[in-house]
Amino acid sequence: MMTRAGEDLASPDHACAVPSSDEQLWEMSAEFVGAGLSAREQVTYFDDGTVEAVLERLDDNRVPVADSLQTGQLTVVAAEHTRAALRSPLEAVRETVLDLIDSSIESGWTGFRMTGQFSYGLRRAGGIGLPEYDAALADVLRGRPARLLCFFDRRHYPDEAIGLMRSLHDKEIEAPAIYDDNLLRITSIGPAALRLAGEVDHSNRPRIRRLLETTLDQAQRSHDAPTDITLDLSSLRFLDVAGAVSLVHTAEEFPSTHRLVLTGVRQRVLRVLDRCGAPFAAQLTVEPRPEPREQSRGGAMP
Amino acid sequence: MKIETTRSAQSVRLQHAVGFYRSDTDLLAQLVPLVTAGLERGQPVAVALRPGTEEALYDVLGSPAGLILLTQPDGRDSSSGQTVAARRARELRELSTATGGGPVTVLSEHTSRLDGLDGGFWTELDAAVNIALAELPITLTCLFPELPLHPEILDGARRNHPLLLVGGELRHNPEHRCPRDVLREWPTPTPVLLGPPDRRLSFGAWQLYEVRAAVEQAVLTAGYERPRAEDIVLAVNEVATNAVEHGATAAELCLWTGSDGFVCEVHDGGTLGDPLPGLRAPHPSEPRGRGVWIARQLCDSLHVWADRSGTHVRMRAGR
Repeated sequence: MMTRAGEDLASPDHACAVPSSDEQLWEMSAEFVGAGLSAREQVTYFDDGTVEAVLERLDDNRVPVADSLQTGQLTVVAAEHTRAALRSPLEAVRETVLDLIDSSIESGWTGFRMTGQFSYGLRRAGGIGLPEYDAALADVLRGRPARLLCFFDRRHYPDEAIGLMRSLHDKEIEAPAIYDDNLLRITSIGPAALRLAGEVDHSNRPRIRRLLETTLDQAQRSHDAPTDITLDLSSLRFLDVAGAVSLVHTAEEFPSTHRLVLTGVRQRVLRVLDRCGAPFAAQLTVEPRPEPREQSRGGAMP
Repeated sequence: MKIETTRSAQSVRLQHAVGFYRSDTDLLAQLVPLVTAGLERGQPVAVALRPGTEEALYDVLGSPAGLILLTQPDGRDSSSGQTVAARRARELRELSTATGGGPVTVLSEHTSRLDGLDGGFWTELDAAVNIALAELPITLTCLFPELPLHPEILDGARRNHPLLLVGGELRHNPEHRCPRDVLREWPTPTPVLLGPPDRRLSFGAWQLYEVRAAVEQAVLTAGYERPRAEDIVLAVNEVATNAVEHGATAAELCLWTGSDGFVCEVHDGGTLGDPLPGLRAPHPSEPRGRGVWIARQLCDSLHVWADRSGTHVRMRAGR
């Protein structure tokens, strides 16, 4: 059964997702974690090499990550502990998760949710398979104010395992993209509004222009569509010169009734746009990212 | 770093002349009236002269307001004529802008210090100057000795300058050739070979992100500040994009991070349409050609050369 309803997308009780790109994994993880934080739930992320990108995405989404980590509302389980948990006997895992849920409720949070990178379980180091772990967790969650989203991304899981795990989950969450080439992911975030995540270069830059033309076409045909075509660039980590020139030219060719609005623009992308004449394009509005990104995560780029 | 965006139409405004002198006395006798005339017109006069000539000029004129000394090529990147031309264009563009876009008189003198092996530096410099300064309102007079050590210097000078300074007057030079023709006859020199690179990477049009990742890692590891590192990644990306844009074959990136700062080379098997890309400020309506221009602005040096194996670019970017 596929779940697509808005509410459940962000807050399933126990569901799986099969992201086909890293960018999609980060997007869906951040969505799930962010929804928990804003619902006053306590969230635990079991890391195994993915947390930095997920936290960066949460930051892109303007989720107060640092605060959540400080108050303990968001906890990151380090990779070694995630792996240790996946080697533990089922009974111990059940105990641990039960403790986590109980202590969340005792601390006054409205619920508990967990997700992360569990692919280490594929190694069956403890002689127990992922299906058994999954069943044990599902059993603990049942009837409790707790949610679990299991990711089986194609980079970490072979097709066979994905097929099996899919069949064991009642619900699968999907996050459709307009375009995703593993370097750049484009999603629709509203009428005449798109979000770009990743990097724009020679290999995918023509897509943007075509997509903008289509979006403008649709906006012009529809009476109630906004006259601003919005590109959310919060998660755009690189834009090459020809890409920036293309955005500037596209805006200049817009009919006078429409504008191209770039939001959440990072400093790095902003500098390229400035060098390519963006400040001179009348129908282009560039809104920089509100504040500089915190350096607490070592400032590392994924 | 300040990046200028020029939005004016591109027409040649540069007046580029060559004069020849017999002796230092003759040189000064030709220079003084040119400086004085420029100053009397109320224009800034910028000079790039040997220290001795500079001193002699000051002895004659005192220290007149409006006389400006240009940065002289020095050190690591002084053998690349195109790099020196790009820097001079930046300097003169700023000078012209500072005086409301008005005309500037520029005087430059040959110095054997920059001759290199065969004096080819001067031929490359003046060909590159014709491109890089084309749209600036500048009258540039280059003075060469009648008998330099390398005769090629004179051959190049006669081809590169559309105007001749004779008896204090500017005349049409019938021997003048466009930069493309000059560079066909005297190709841009291959720079001195570097040692084995710290990293070598083969890439195609779909692996540009690997190029960016390699460069970013190298400069961050070398302790560059993040914004500077990001600009260098952009510069290399643009050159690397050019290398794979047309060619079907893979290109190669080599990088070094030693005491000279970050140095990298991009090699591809293609041929150059434009022998000196990225020297002319791109016109906004032109979608192409901006990448290498921006790369030149961001790097301390960017030297393009070609040989039988293809096209090569060396970039150096300090902190």
